[in-house]
Amino acid sequence: MTRDVRDLLAAASGLYRDDPRASALLHDCANRLEQPLRVAFTGAPSSGKSTLAAALGEWPTRALRDLVLLDDPGPADEVPDATVRLVRHLEPDELAAAHPPGGSPFARQSAVNSVLVLSRADEVGAGRIDALLTAKQLARRAWREDPLCTGFLGVIAVAGQLAYGGRSLRDDEFDLLAAFAAVPREELERHVLSVDSFTDPAFPGPIPVETRRSLVVRFGMFGVRLALTLIRTGCDDRVKLSAELVRRSGLGELRDTLAGCFVARAEALKARTAVIRLEALLAAQPRPGGDRLVSRVERFAAAAHDFRELRLIADIRGGRTALSGDPAEEAVRLLGAQGTAPADRLGLEPDADPGEIYDAGLDALRRWRHEAERPDRPHAERTAAHVVVRSAEGLLALFT
Amino acid sequence: MTAPAWLEVLNETMDACRTHGRADLAERLRRRRDAPTGQIRLGVLGFPKQGKGYLLNAVLNAPVCAVGDAPTPAVPTEIAYSAEPAATLVGRSRERIPVAVERLTGELGARPAGTLSRVEVGVPRELLSAGLVLVDTPPVGDPRSPRTAAALDLLAEADAVILVSDATSPLTAAELALARHVRTWCPHVLVALTKIDASPGWRAVAERNRAMLAEAGIDAPVQPVSAVVRQAAAKAGDADLNARSGFPELLNWIAEQASRPPEQSRALLAAVGVRAAAAELVESLRDRAEAAGQDAGLGQAALLQRAQRRADDLRRQNTKWQNLLSDEITDLLSDAEYDLRERTRKIVNTIDRTFDEGDPAKVWDDFAPWLDNALAEAVDVNYTWLADRAEWIAQAVAACFGAQYDRALPDLRLDGSGVEGLDDVRRPKIEKFKVGQQAFTGLRGSYGGVLMFGLVTSLAGLPLINPVSIGAGAAFAAKTIKDEGGMRLQRRQAVAKQAAQRHVDDVFLRFSKECRDSIRLVQRRLRDHFTGLAEELADELTHERETILAGTAERERRTVHIRREIDRLAGLHQRAGELGTIAGRQQRRELSA
Repeated sequence: MTRDVRDLLAAASGLYRDDPRASALLHDCANRLEQPLRVAFTGAPSSGKSTLAAALGEWPTRALRDLVLLDDPGPADEVPDATVRLVRHLEPDELAAAHPPGGSPFARQSAVNSVLVLSRADEVGAGRIDALLTAKQLARRAWREDPLCTGFLGVIAVAGQLAYGGRSLRDDEFDLLAAFAAVPREELERHVLSVDSFTDPAFPGPIPVETRRSLVVRFGMFGVRLALTLIRTGCDDRVKLSAELVRRSGLGELRDTLAGCFVARAEALKARTAVIRLEALLAAQPRPGGDRLVSRVERFAAAAHDFRELRLIADIRGGRTALSGDPAEEAVRLLGAQGTAPADRLGLEPDADPGEIYDAGLDALRRWRHEAERPDRPHAERTAAHVVVRSAEGLLALFT
Repeated sequence: MTAPAWLEVLNETMDACRTHGRADLAERLRRRRDAPTGQIRLGVLGFPKQGKGYLLNAVLNAPVCAVGDAPTPAVPTEIAYSAEPAATLVGRSRERIPVAVERLTGELGARPAGTLSRVEVGVPRELLSAGLVLVDTPPVGDPRSPRTAAALDLLAEADAVILVSDATSPLTAAELALARHVRTWCPHVLVALTKIDASPGWRAVAERNRAMLAEAGIDAPVQPVSAVVRQAAAKAGDADLNARSGFPELLNWIAEQASRPPEQSRALLAAVGVRAAAAELVESLRDRAEAAGQDAGLGQAALLQRAQRRADDLRRQNTKWQNLLSDEITDLLSDAEYDLRERTRKIVNTIDRTFDEGDPAKVWDDFAPWLDNALAEAVDVNYTWLADRAEWIAQAVAACFGAQYDRALPDLRLDGSGVEGLDDVRRPKIEKFKVGQQAFTGLRGSYGGVLMFGLVTSLAGLPLINPVSIGAGAAFAAKTIKDEGGMRLQRRQAVAKQAAQRHVDDVFLRFSKECRDSIRLVQRRLRDHFTGLAEELADELTHERETILAGTAERERRTVHIRREIDRLAGLHQRAGELGTIAGRQQRRELSA
């Protein structure tokens, strides 16, 4: 795919040789194919973009290594390859505003590059201790049921502040929290009711008001309460508490989605960005002889199977297909949701031997071909099965 | 008891609202007028997820409103006093369906959207016992959504409004606009700043909100509250904690609303309603006047200017085409006569040459048909040329009218005029030559035919001296007469010459008269045609200008009417303001046209 795009860009460079601006743009497009995937965090002011980007960005994992996170790039800035869109509430007005913009038919058809995040999930339900669970349920329901959530690869509830606080929890903070947790619960309860009560001079113990204030500013009232509860129920050192806070924040789920949908498809998404920029250039500054290039771009767009795979993964996971249970699991795996290497797609060990992979691939192909041709199934379901068949064929094609 | 003063102003404003197509405003005023006495309605309004439900539940110390995860119902919930908890769903056609309070949320979820108009809940609360009704509204959002409309519908009957905005961020532009709108329609508004338990920066947010409201001229206090703290205080029975929740102040404010003297309250509400309606109406009237003005301003001026330009063009065209026509006709007259004279002169030359040497008695038989042909040809060519020139003149004049000339040229065929007048062309009196009769009959027929049938195009374009005439001259000259000489021959030659010349003269005279007449006819026809056209264009222009002017007058009349209406509404606005002052409240600035 990258090679095809490179060829297209080279052909375009010939066409625009005499135009320095266009040449610079095409040059940049080509360079970007070598660079890490750019993921933009966008959303209304104070929806928690920076906090979330920071929480994700400091994550030293292999999964997100090839990623550049852009905190709310302006429209004039560089074009992101993928987008994490933050909303504070799953309200129709906000969701309508969160929808990715249109663009060319190819841009729309391949618009499988955004994830919706219900940020500040800890605010759901007036900060009750089960706020995060409720938020996750709301997000899942919205993804499955709300037509405004159709275009997204995922709708994920994340408590950005908690995630960031958890990720960067310091020893002194843990010690403070542990000291508070040691106070009998009944006694402490009214002091952790609100920010005011937590920072009240009447708070028991010698901890200065400013220290308490900085704690509540870092973690939020919900975070403080949750941390105290977690310490009481067994998270008795900083590392454990940190891990548990992060786990509950929903950051892990977001990271997995970014890894599976963005990082694993980095080549396709970067190619997409380049093609969309090339399309825009060809449309804005038509040149004699550009027609042939335009039709080559169209052919490329029509053949790009990666985007169909991504869209189908999103549809299956969002519950928008008739597939469920094991067939759905197998389908998303074959489509590459857990990695695009043949072994990943077939659910085999990474070091499986080629013969084994080939047999498993052939088996999957036969079964899904059968599914794709069953006349008793609805058209949409057969179309979905066809996409899986195409993925399996592509997998086997590596052996020829 | 006499009708209160506010009623008259209110009714008059309602009429104005109806007259100007704002039935919605009229309906709002009507509901204000007919609001049941003995009830104080306190509305709670806000954008989604600001904590409205929590606030109401905390006010009532009871889980009456749906909170949190479930989306709030799309219809208002009215909470009033009743000895036992009770809930009623009120349908679109006012049917009442009692449901158990604890099953209310489920029942609401089970109803299809749009079948309910409101929910009524009764709770045994001291706070409500004096007739206070709390109204929970659907969240405000997209201005076009029915949910927003249902929420703002509250303003028709609300005595006071609590606006709910949470402390996680200062008032947004949309919230500020909502506050302004609410304050316009309702004299008593409070902004409840919720979720202060979870927001470390709530004090700064409260200050910011107060400053923004003051800057926008919205007279509404900001009350920070925490439903969570209130709930905990209620559970623990902790009065100190309750004081920290901000709810005691909020409840005081609510109680204040409930304890106002009803008649005074009604007058104030009516006055505020009238002022709000008058202001909204004036705004839409101003928009309309402005739109009409703009329409008139730009478009009108441009149209008039264009019409003026076209009139000027037309005047210039008229002078131009008239001059052109008269010049061309004068030229044509002299050219045609000269041409004919030239042609006949050449024929006369040949006659002279022929009879200087030839004997008329011998050559006459050949000479007569030649003369016949030569004259016919001269007349023909001259005539063709004349018709062509006439056609050309018509086109040149038409060109003066430019692109506006989009019709056929006039019919310039000169059919048969004056043919009868040629009958008495005198024939040559040389009877002894015995030729004249047939020759001249043929000649007459020939050019009469030309006149009769217009252009004989096959002859058009022949040169004046053609081989026929040269050949004829040579042939006649060769027939010299040797035998006869002296006086007799010379006399015969002179007579023949004279006769032929006179005939040519006669034909020339007759035909040149014919030509002049034809040319004059062409002139008249062209003049009539183009005068008609110019008049038509002028008429069109006049009509167009009248239409434009009439439009301006109509618009001016309408603008004056709108201005008068605005003045009238400003009067109502002011009277309502006076009522408001009487009702114990200072009003803000007045409207003006």
